Amino acid sequence: MNLKIDQYAHLDSLIHRWNPRLKLIGLTTLIFAFASTESLKIAVPMVMVTGGFFWLSNLPLKFLRHRLHYPGYLLLGIVALLPWLLGETVLWQWGFLSLRLEGLVAVGLIASRFLCILTLALVLLGTMPFLTTVKAMRSLGLPSLLADMTLLSYRYLYEVTDNLTTMRRAMKLRGFGQGHRHHHSSSGHSSRRRFAFVPDSHELNRLASLTGSLFIRSYEQAEHIYKAMRLRGYGRSPSPQFNAAHLCPPAPPLSTRHDRVLLVATLAIALLFILAKWLL
Amino acid sequence: MHIPDGILPAQVCAAGYAIATPVAWYSLRKINRQPDPTVGIPKAALLTATFFVASSIHIPVPPVSVHLVLNGLLGAILGYYAFPAILIGLFFQAVIIGHGGLTTLGVDAAMMGIPAILAYQVFRLRHPLAKRFNRRFADGMAGFLAGMVGLGLAAVIFMTLIITTLPPGLDAATEKSAIYGLSLAHVPLAVLEGAFTAMLVLFFQRVKPELLEDHWQKKPSKASDLTTEQAERV
Repeated sequence: MNLKIDQYAHLDSLIHRWNPRLKLIGLTTLIFAFASTESLKIAVPMVMVTGGFFWLSNLPLKFLRHRLHYPGYLLLGIVALLPWLLGETVLWQWGFLSLRLEGLVAVGLIASRFLCILTLALVLLGTMPFLTTVKAMRSLGLPSLLADMTLLSYRYLYEVTDNLTTMRRAMKLRGFGQGHRHHHSSSGHSSRRRFAFVPDSHELNRLASLTGSLFIRSYEQAEHIYKAMRLRGYGRSPSPQFNAAHLCPPAPPLSTRHDRVLLVATLAIALLFILAKWLL
Repeated sequence: MHIPDGILPAQVCAAGYAIATPVAWYSLRKINRQPDPTVGIPKAALLTATFFVASSIHIPVPPVSVHLVLNGLLGAILGYYAFPAILIGLFFQAVIIGHGGLTTLGVDAAMMGIPAILAYQVFRLRHPLAKRFNRRFADGMAGFLAGMVGLGLAAVIFMTLIITTLPPGLDAATEKSAIYGLSLAHVPLAVLEGAFTAMLVLFFQRVKPELLEDHWQKKPSKASDLTTEQAERV
């Protein structure tokens, strides 16, 4: 899985050029307006608006497809279950199975909300570098401790993933988890039986050692990085003589007329969806 | 055990943020009262990343496999840093792999973060336990309980939220049996998470005991408050 959420941040589009702070305010409001939708009638305009934003962002469709891969399974589960469990109006019956109208409506609403919110979140975070996103959040009031932790965690994601891949490969090369599930006694017979729904304690211990080693290996790297950061002045308040501009994040870029128009348009759309909820 | 976007009504999502915000504020206040709040950031950031990555480690429970949540472990190791760590970890899981959601971030964070803080309080029992039993047993037992409380409580909140906020129309009896059934199904998972957390705690105790140091514990003011180990060092 590609962990880079901002791999297409270098593209050029109307959404890419949008001021990060205003983009964050506009699209987050729209996401929450979508979350408040409770009627299937609003689903079609919701999908159209989302499609419009995605088209404006110039993001490739494969980006969305990749990101939908994992949550798609969950969606599939909901689609497969709810129409058979929810409601009283039976549309079709086969034995004890009854397809119900209310269940189908609920599935349509949940699936459309889910897809629209996920797509808008990708448009929001995929059209600017992650650092810019965190800076925009910081300028909107995100506490500095949370901002620092977010940036460092994002940096460590790659380290920890690489470490885990290396360690798993090393374990595989040494024969762990490859047909050694049964420990054989000298006579060649299996000495331990495995029962359904009971985890093997040796396997559990092996995985605990893998996870523990992953923590420790990454922790030591984190300590080195932290010491390097301290040496460069992290955690100290800048002295008045020192040019603070070197340590503090630069002020967010000023918004243009185009940014403000886009924000007002997005907020107006969000307001329409919230009003539609009351009217329909 | 992450609630995705689009499942919960907007009011519940808003309530999730309304609960998560004061808990985050309280955690940050506790952190900022530390002599140097930045000291714990690398460890917390690293564990946040590991919390994200460790969800890809699957434990085989024949014929299926389950993945770890590790919120109890985060609580045990990080103390009050656990809530912001879980908040950030869930944010990454939502935006990078679509596991969870942005609108449900508050609900998910409250669901996993509050049990993590409780798990931390449970893990602190190892200090009184160490006075009665040996240190290894005390750490293992406290780790087991912390892991079990972390996942068990989160699972109960998750199930209650999902079942009670499903669109109306679900038969009341089905709803009730679903809550009981799913809760019971999570009991062995909570025990498994507890056992795994205990194994990890014992591994850290053996290899890197500084990871288990309790930075939030008040410094003993009297000689009688010292633990046996501290007294020996003095």
